[in-house]
Amino acid sequence: MEKDIFLVGQGLTRFGEHWDRSLLNLMDEATEAALKNSGLNALDVDLVIVANMLGERTNNQAHLGALASALLPHHPPALRIESACGSGAMALHTAAAYLESKRAETVLVIGVEKMTDVSVDEVSAALMGAADSELDAPSGLTFPGIFGLITQRYMHEYGLTREQLSLVSAVHHRQGKENPFAQFRFDVSPEKVTASPMVADPLRLLDCSPVSDGAAVCILSTTHRSELRLAASQIASDSVSITERASITSFSATRDAMQRALKEAEIDREEIRALETHDCFSMAAIINMEDLGFAEPGEGISVYERIHAGDYPTFVNKSGGLKSCGHPVAATGIKQMIDIAKQLGASKEQYGLAHNFGGACASCGIHILENLDASS
Amino acid sequence: MASSAIVGFGMYLPKYRIRTAEIAAHWGEDPAGLMANLGVEEKTVPGKDEDSFTLGFEAGKMAIENAGIKASQISAIFVGSESHPYAVKPTSGMLAAALELDPFCHAADLEFACKAGTAAMQIGDAFVRSGQVNFAMAMGTDTAQGKPGDALEYTAAAGAAAVILCTATAKNALCKIDHTLSFTTDTPDFWRAADEKYPRHAGRFTGEPGYFHHMREAIKGILEIGNIKMKEIDHVILHMPNAKFPLRIAKECGISKEQLDHGFIVPTVGNTYSACSLLGLTNVLQKAKKGERILLVSYGSGAGCDAFLCTMLKNGAGLPPDTRAISYLPYSTYLEHSGALAAK
Amino acid sequence: MSSPSIIHRAQKKRASKLQAGTVLSFTVLAHPPARFGKRPRQIGLIQLEDGSSVLAPLLAERPFIGQRVHARMRLSHVTEEKLRVYEVSYEALSEVPAIMEKTFPGYILALTGPSGVGKTTVSRMLVQMFSDVAVNVPIVTTRKEKPGDEGEYVYAPTTEFDEWKRGGLLVAATDIPSRGEHRQYGYRRADFEAIWKEGKLPVVITEMHLLKDLANTFGRRSILSFGLLPPGKSKRAKLSQLLHRLRKRGRETEAHIQDRLKNAERDLAFFKERSDLFDHVVVNKDLNVVIRSMQKRIPGLSQA
Repeated sequence: MEKDIFLVGQGLTRFGEHWDRSLLNLMDEATEAALKNSGLNALDVDLVIVANMLGERTNNQAHLGALASALLPHHPPALRIESACGSGAMALHTAAAYLESKRAETVLVIGVEKMTDVSVDEVSAALMGAADSELDAPSGLTFPGIFGLITQRYMHEYGLTREQLSLVSAVHHRQGKENPFAQFRFDVSPEKVTASPMVADPLRLLDCSPVSDGAAVCILSTTHRSELRLAASQIASDSVSITERASITSFSATRDAMQRALKEAEIDREEIRALETHDCFSMAAIINMEDLGFAEPGEGISVYERIHAGDYPTFVNKSGGLKSCGHPVAATGIKQMIDIAKQLGASKEQYGLAHNFGGACASCGIHILENLDASS
Repeated sequence: MASSAIVGFGMYLPKYRIRTAEIAAHWGEDPAGLMANLGVEEKTVPGKDEDSFTLGFEAGKMAIENAGIKASQISAIFVGSESHPYAVKPTSGMLAAALELDPFCHAADLEFACKAGTAAMQIGDAFVRSGQVNFAMAMGTDTAQGKPGDALEYTAAAGAAAVILCTATAKNALCKIDHTLSFTTDTPDFWRAADEKYPRHAGRFTGEPGYFHHMREAIKGILEIGNIKMKEIDHVILHMPNAKFPLRIAKECGISKEQLDHGFIVPTVGNTYSACSLLGLTNVLQKAKKGERILLVSYGSGAGCDAFLCTMLKNGAGLPPDTRAISYLPYSTYLEHSGALAAK
Repeated sequence: MSSPSIIHRAQKKRASKLQAGTVLSFTVLAHPPARFGKRPRQIGLIQLEDGSSVLAPLLAERPFIGQRVHARMRLSHVTEEKLRVYEVSYEALSEVPAIMEKTFPGYILALTGPSGVGKTTVSRMLVQMFSDVAVNVPIVTTRKEKPGDEGEYVYAPTTEFDEWKRGGLLVAATDIPSRGEHRQYGYRRADFEAIWKEGKLPVVITEMHLLKDLANTFGRRSILSFGLLPPGKSKRAKLSQLLHRLRKRGRETEAHIQDRLKNAERDLAFFKERSDLFDHVVVNKDLNVVIRSMQKRIPGLSQA
């Protein structure tokens, strides 16, 4: 980090089906909450960055930077970032670059997605924009299908069973129950996961994060300070199509970004005490633990087995993850940052990490937050 | 003038079947009676993702491998069908591209009811003999439809067969076409209007004024120009709309069961329309021996016959065996496969 | 979104997909995109022979990772403007039709491989483990009983063997020359029928000629055919493995072993030439691994 960047404000809407709120309404609500939380004046914002994936297809709306800028009385400069489901982290990374280069001093980063204005078929087709339109989509594959393929292969390589896989969503729901901003705040037993309707063999309905509306905002600044400092911001890429990967049961973009993020923050992974990972599907949650280095290949499930059994420090996806919170695609990366900020504030621990990716981890963004108020 | 010969051949049948008994059970008809009348035990049914182009592709690919030539050496392709995927956009063009034939390729689609495939073979024969091309492909391919409840439902089947022709003096030439002849009339025995999904037929009128008259004339004609007696022919393939018609004309013309044996595929395949007699031919070509004579007479409603008199130039060899498991369909699934339940 | 120009560009890439391949993974979409109709759609990630991978429909009743598939031209869908879009799909060509529970009428499990590869050991293990389901079919032979024979043969004088052959009582027969002597081997139809009558699965240990005969008699689709290969990357390595095993077995003279090795070379070539006669080829390196991988592929045994 070339400069000290602080998280000075955060705000979000509840994630869910918001029939009477538009894309703009959602951005407005989260922005207002964040400004209030920061104690800053709207006029302090000198750049707005909007993270959004589907605006053109689900809302007939491009040009979201300009649209969001108009929410503030002085129409600050604004731009929109897209990196599929990893748009949130990508937007934070862009903000960090602007702040480090001194082109801006206080950046309002909005992640927003409004997915419920179109049919399920249309959303499914739009989400396939995160995959390769020439190599992946023509066969009729959907995103659950891509992860179904990954899960089938993973089970073949490592012997993961259906019963084990069901623990993941059960854990996420149990933890999300305590999160007032989560879309689903109820328990789901592993048996219920196993019995839920098949979506893409072997993935079932309750293995998949839902379609949601929502917005989340972070305000990052170099001139205003807080106890939360951005210790690392790293992004990485991989081939979009799984047909061009050497392995489909491990994501190199996560491994790359993680290695560089730890190096930038100058910490070891053992020091991370708040972790939000990108569990678009239960299988992803397991692979994430391995790629982030918290488990050996093939043993990612052991983390969830131990959390389920109650003997693992529950700092993994304490928010409930994408499964329980909901996944308004581009808002997730921002929400994760807010979650680790809250968790560090409550636990007084020092380091937290947000892991966000797009598609089948063709783009990955990792952010590490340091709590300067931590009790050492 | 020089002759042409078949240098390679191929075929493709979908892996699905439906038994006559299954269709009969649905309509409450007596399967024994149907078996006696039609002689067809089961017929092929196309997969939901198959059509005359995909069937033709598989048959064409096999023929090219069988001939041992490069696809790019083929510069003429004629495809006969009653179920071309498009009314306007030629199957022959789609196949020329998919099979990677010489881009400078003569190509056209044909329709003449069940004899469009053999008509293609005659055109290929002429292109080769005239020296216009070195290798020509002729194909019959169909996903024939019978209206649910109509008698044709028991026999209308799906399949494709392809032959590759070249000059008879070529080293690998397998089966020389000595003579070919056609007999053509205008006879309203079977037709399908452009905007109709299923064909219509004229009942008993399809017999004597249709099939039998034309077959009789064509057989008489080919034996005459070939200067040959029926008993000198080793293998006879006749168009098979069912099992009864060809057996009846065979009896009339002095063709024995042994002569018909290898090419008589209709009892377990059904009537694959444009592919029918060509499929019978591909069966014979695998088993016939050097020097044996083959007579092929196909019939197309509307109406006409194509007849061929051929000589095997070397022993036939088997095609690669089909190791897929046959799947017998219940009537309801068959309806879905045959497009009768088209949701669109 | 399939416009004419998009379809046109996609068509150009079709030719490169017309290769055989292996299934890397597969899934079934319960609700595919609308253009594919209502039914679930099975899609595979296929590794092609040239090393590239593709995503395409997988046409297989019982798919598994590692399954060999062949390219097929199929209709993908019809666009709203009635343009027909075709795609290359991959079909598993040799699937054994569903075998009901524990009755195996008409089906045979065949193990083929060169001498010394361990067929007898594998089949004995299989029959032992699943004795209420699998039964060895005795090999009828004209050669004399030898020390080391363990009950897998039925010995018959040449005259009786020939009589059985003439009378159509044998479903497969071959003679294998060995040091100038002609030894005949075969299977009796009655032995198969007795096993099927009990509702069990006949297991044959066999070699290429007998396998061909069985396929001709019972139909290729009646046989679930496993080829057993010795471990070793090259042909030379495989042959030297066999040599080692034959010597270790101690059943034969060196002269006989050399004969067997000559046959073995031919056997190894047979796997390649007649790959259509084999559903699965398994390398016999570790007996337990072989048994487990076979068990997975024999319907009815995985529940046993």
